Amino acid sequence: MKRTVPLIIVMVGGILMMIQYFIPHQASQAVFDYYTEWAPIVGAFALVLGVGSLTRVHFHRIRRRSKNWPYSLAVLIPLYAMPILGLMVPVSLWGGMESPSIFHFLFMHIQVPIQSTMFSLLAFYIASAAFRAFRAKSALATVLLGSATIVMLAQVPIGEIFGPGLQDVGLWILRFPNLAAKRAIQFGVGFGILATSLKIIFGVERNWLGGAGE
Amino acid sequence: MRTSSTRYVPAALVLLLFPALSAAQAIEPVVARDSVENTTLPADTIASGTVEPQEEPAAVIDAPGAVTVTDSPNDAGDQLTLTFEPSTETETLFCHTVYRRIAGEGDESWLPVSIIPAGDPSELVDGLDPDYPIVPGVQYEYRIAVQTLDGLEVMGPVTPAQAVAEGEYYHTGKTRALIASSIFIFMIFYYFSRAQRGVQFYLRPIAGIEAIDEAIGRATEMGKPILYVPGLSSISDVATIASLTVLSRVAKKIAQYQTRLIVPNRDPIVYTVADECVKQGYLEAGRPDAYDPESVFFLTDSQFAYVAGVNGIMMREKPATNFYLGMFWAESLLLAETGSLSGAIQIAGTDAVTQLPFFITTCDYTLIGEELYAASAYLGHEPKQIGAVKGQDACKAIIMGFITLALVLTVVDLAAGTHTLDWLRQLMTMSVMD
Amino acid sequence: MSAVNFWGKMLNVDRRWIFLLIGVVSIVPFLIPVGMPLTTTTEVESIYDCIDSLGPENAIFLAFDFDPGTDAENMPMSVAVMRHAFFRHVPVFMTAYTPLGNGMMMSGFEYVTNQELPGCYTPVDYADWATYRDAGIVDRDGLVAAWEADGHSLPENSVGWVFEGRDYALLGYLPLFHLVILGMTSSIEAQYPEDSHGNPLVEMPMLREHKSLREVDLALTMAGSSACMSWIIYGREKIGLPIAFGVTAVMATDYFPFIQSHQIIGQMGGLRGAAEYEVLMERNGVSATTDKAFTGMDVQSAAHLLIILLIIMGNVAYFAGGFHKQHLMKSGR
Repeated sequence: MKRTVPLIIVMVGGILMMIQYFIPHQASQAVFDYYTEWAPIVGAFALVLGVGSLTRVHFHRIRRRSKNWPYSLAVLIPLYAMPILGLMVPVSLWGGMESPSIFHFLFMHIQVPIQSTMFSLLAFYIASAAFRAFRAKSALATVLLGSATIVMLAQVPIGEIFGPGLQDVGLWILRFPNLAAKRAIQFGVGFGILATSLKIIFGVERNWLGGAGE
Repeated sequence: MRTSSTRYVPAALVLLLFPALSAAQAIEPVVARDSVENTTLPADTIASGTVEPQEEPAAVIDAPGAVTVTDSPNDAGDQLTLTFEPSTETETLFCHTVYRRIAGEGDESWLPVSIIPAGDPSELVDGLDPDYPIVPGVQYEYRIAVQTLDGLEVMGPVTPAQAVAEGEYYHTGKTRALIASSIFIFMIFYYFSRAQRGVQFYLRPIAGIEAIDEAIGRATEMGKPILYVPGLSSISDVATIASLTVLSRVAKKIAQYQTRLIVPNRDPIVYTVADECVKQGYLEAGRPDAYDPESVFFLTDSQFAYVAGVNGIMMREKPATNFYLGMFWAESLLLAETGSLSGAIQIAGTDAVTQLPFFITTCDYTLIGEELYAASAYLGHEPKQIGAVKGQDACKAIIMGFITLALVLTVVDLAAGTHTLDWLRQLMTMSVMD
Repeated sequence: MSAVNFWGKMLNVDRRWIFLLIGVVSIVPFLIPVGMPLTTTTEVESIYDCIDSLGPENAIFLAFDFDPGTDAENMPMSVAVMRHAFFRHVPVFMTAYTPLGNGMMMSGFEYVTNQELPGCYTPVDYADWATYRDAGIVDRDGLVAAWEADGHSLPENSVGWVFEGRDYALLGYLPLFHLVILGMTSSIEAQYPEDSHGNPLVEMPMLREHKSLREVDLALTMAGSSACMSWIIYGREKIGLPIAFGVTAVMATDYFPFIQSHQIIGQMGGLRGAAEYEVLMERNGVSATTDKAFTGMDVQSAAHLLIILLIIMGNVAYFAGGFHKQHLMKSGR
């Protein structure tokens, strides 16, 4: 039953929603609305699971004084402090989520800069990868490098110093060969999604249940 | 294909549909909500309350003519298409106001459902305004009023709607989608059944998949853990499901070699499924005692916080093998470059086209796009899985055929001045739905 | 062999030197701005032209579908579009795909309405103009006239008033946003009974005039992830809602097929896309100057040049040192 019930739910739900797509009748719409109402409920429970897992893992590390256990405090304290500050502390005590509040201050002056900083690391890593790994080892790789150089220069104002046509060439590469390749890959990915979805709906693919197929 | 679970399908269908069908049948005729009483609005602004239509002698402007009401096609019985003959007097005309009421109700029930400015087409689809919904099966009456530039309103005659809104059981506009999806689904199941009957299909070798065993063995020899990142997307993403399929097989091998496994997750649902996959892998390997519940854990749902956490794990734990299989976004290079710094062998696989260049340059093996989806077929060698891969290829062959045909027709049209490509485009294109 | 050693040392240079170089070229252009001219592309111009053709009787959705990680690319374009819409008096509904996007929405609005910055707009909260609403003054021109007649004047740096519920509505985040988009195709108020400040949407003039996405003229999604696809699937393909993208540079290449098939009217790709929009605004008098994106193009120019130089150096070292003849250490690349 532990495996059968989820399989039935997926099979019935999947077939039902496939059929529902082609039926505009109000009864069909009611079925769609009924299922979409369940989705946020499942999502809400998933959040409970995730927070529970995080709390359990880090709490054990703190209790056992495992290696680097202070970092677990750095995880748990903000995890609970932010919702308390945003939802439970009264506005008169600098609570709430809007400015001015502690929540807003922490979000704007800690979370935003930290996430922006992490994203900005990409610039450094790309430079390092460019030097270390971008090699013209074959004719195709050379074409790739040449195209990349042209597009990179076309994307910045300084590229126009290298010739008025450079930007046009760069845009042409984006609008035609790039477009064709992306579309082709999207077709492939789309069919892959179709096939995998069918496998899941009809019970061929069962690993999402947590075990290999029978 | 019949499985033991399909016999429960009819009962489950009834059980799951019953509440929905009950709700559908129990839909009471909704009294169109009185629009917000906004007494502050001047009389010549958009009418938002029940307005008492004022009748004046029809000396200044002609009333609108015949009203024709038809049931809108391909809807849930919540739309009616209305056309009318506009007033012939155009110089003093400001707008037409469309009033509606349920047949048999009094004059106080007229609701101004739409205002059509002068010059606009004299037709509308009624029922789109959420303040004035149409109820299926209800008989309505319409009345078109003309408003002049100096605020005079002249009412037209009351016209019972010639049609009642009814929901259709089939959306004719989606016929192309139905045909296309039927063909594609048929191709996939056709190859399913051929594979099940024992037909051998050739799948070209993919280095990344073949290297999985080697990578696990390397970690075992070095006595270092294996890091498996199942992507940053949710369980509804097919790439995540494909990744979890590979995870279960990797976990089974790892259980046999007794190598340590680390699986950080970004999504809580993916975490629970990954946990089950790994547990099942250890069970199938006959080593349930070796399963460590803390090897699979939820890290955070914030993208870059997750990356920072995984990078920290890589630098501290120094895994010998890193798997990046699933959906990735901008963090892919951060992960792969840090893993490269730690000296691990790295196998990546994603259908995120934008991230493939980063993985290809920094990882030892990369599964590109559908190779990730095909990984489960390669690893399990199950006929149905292999059949699905061949089915996808057949679908792509159909698309390639259409592209070739379109290319040929384009050349022909250019040379001969014909419009055969337009004909094909009209045949294939599906317009906006609702 | 010393030559080979030299090339080998170059290939194995400590990454931290490369990181340092990138750091330097990222900082110096801020200290020595150049401001090279930028030509605009049709992908961005089409978005600009579309918003420029709208007015107070229209409405747009501006979706802050990005997190702080992509703030540097997505925020300038969001701010630019918001400014343009305010300039044209086009009512703007602002939403967010994620909880963090809600913070980005508030942050972007606060930037545009920061009274200390030149070219800002002065916001009037929904409660502050309640008496005018009660008196039936809900059209924009009448509202501004009445507001200023009562003694309110624009601060020094401000270029205009924006009234909450008339010019903008901060709707914020709701979970499973793709279903929210689907619901808004029927009724915006059913999904958002209140905005993020607790004001009831049903009373807002901009909602009375634009009750569902069918009555909205454009939806712009500023996305750092595939959230933008939800607007295509549930907006464009269901009801024909015109969509425009503002995405990171890495993602921009993915969506060219959608431009070609006219599923989106245009796209701003990365910092360059935002810079192009700022240039268009400055050129057409919508704003007095360009903003952060245009300033950032100097940095991007320098960084791109450095990366190209590094690629060339790496390849020169690779081939000059004879490393291309050596057996690959790891198979499968």
